[in-house]
Amino acid sequence: MKGGLAMQNTAPRNFETFAWRAMRISAFLLIPLVWGHMILQDVVVGVHNMDLGYVAERWASLFWRIYDGLLLGLAFAHGVNGLRQVLRDYLHGEIARRIVNWGALAFWLILTLVGFAALIAGVRAQ
Amino acid sequence: MAHLKTALTGYVSYRGREGQWAFLLHRISGLGTGLFLTIHIVDIALVYFAPQLFLEVLQLYRSTLFGIGEIFLVFCVFYHGVNGLRIALFDLKAAQRWNIPTARGSARLVLIIALVLWLPCAVWMLRSLLLHNFGLFQ
Repeated sequence: MKGGLAMQNTAPRNFETFAWRAMRISAFLLIPLVWGHMILQDVVVGVHNMDLGYVAERWASLFWRIYDGLLLGLAFAHGVNGLRQVLRDYLHGEIARRIVNWGALAFWLILTLVGFAALIAGVRAQ
Repeated sequence: MAHLKTALTGYVSYRGREGQWAFLLHRISGLGTGLFLTIHIVDIALVYFAPQLFLEVLQLYRSTLFGIGEIFLVFCVFYHGVNGLRIALFDLKAAQRWNIPTARGSARLVLIIALVLWLPCAVWMLRSLLLHNFGLFQ
């Protein structure tokens, strides 16, 4: 972190440099998106006032579906890469890191697909 | 695993003060939020894959234990956001100003901002929890 200036000059153009940048740039989008979502759902509405009808009503609006799609796409990628970076701090072996990388990719892909499938399909009629 | 042991014992013995506390709090809040986000993607996906199960998960989220966890989750999200903004701004815009005094001062400021954002939300959520689970303020 402290070598920020040096990094600008010497950082190799590889995936790790891209990931380092993406974590920081995504923050500027994630802060309004996540805080907006959290304040609305957890504080203003609250989990006691939610049911299937509430989700269906919310997703009837294209705006909220796009909002939730952005959240899912950005926040989960940020989170999984964060987890990957934490694990790389403690696992230094080439094989271990390769397992972490592929594991993170699979974990991210599966849950992202599951999330988008539900977001697109919507609430199942009872 | 040896690296993990070295790191964890290092976290306890190293006296990095504010910068180290910010690092640890950022890491813990990020991992905590990530854990909830993973569960949250699955629970919301249930509205399509298994709607009845979604309703049961909602009941679990309404429990007092989860309600308290939710209040801490909101702190994690606020703290991780404000501290993430600090890291992003320094790294991307003012890397030459990353030094011990600015790191310590900004880490303190971040904690104060996060607490100021969190406290009104925490009070409101606690009120809602007491109202729904204990019948207070009726």
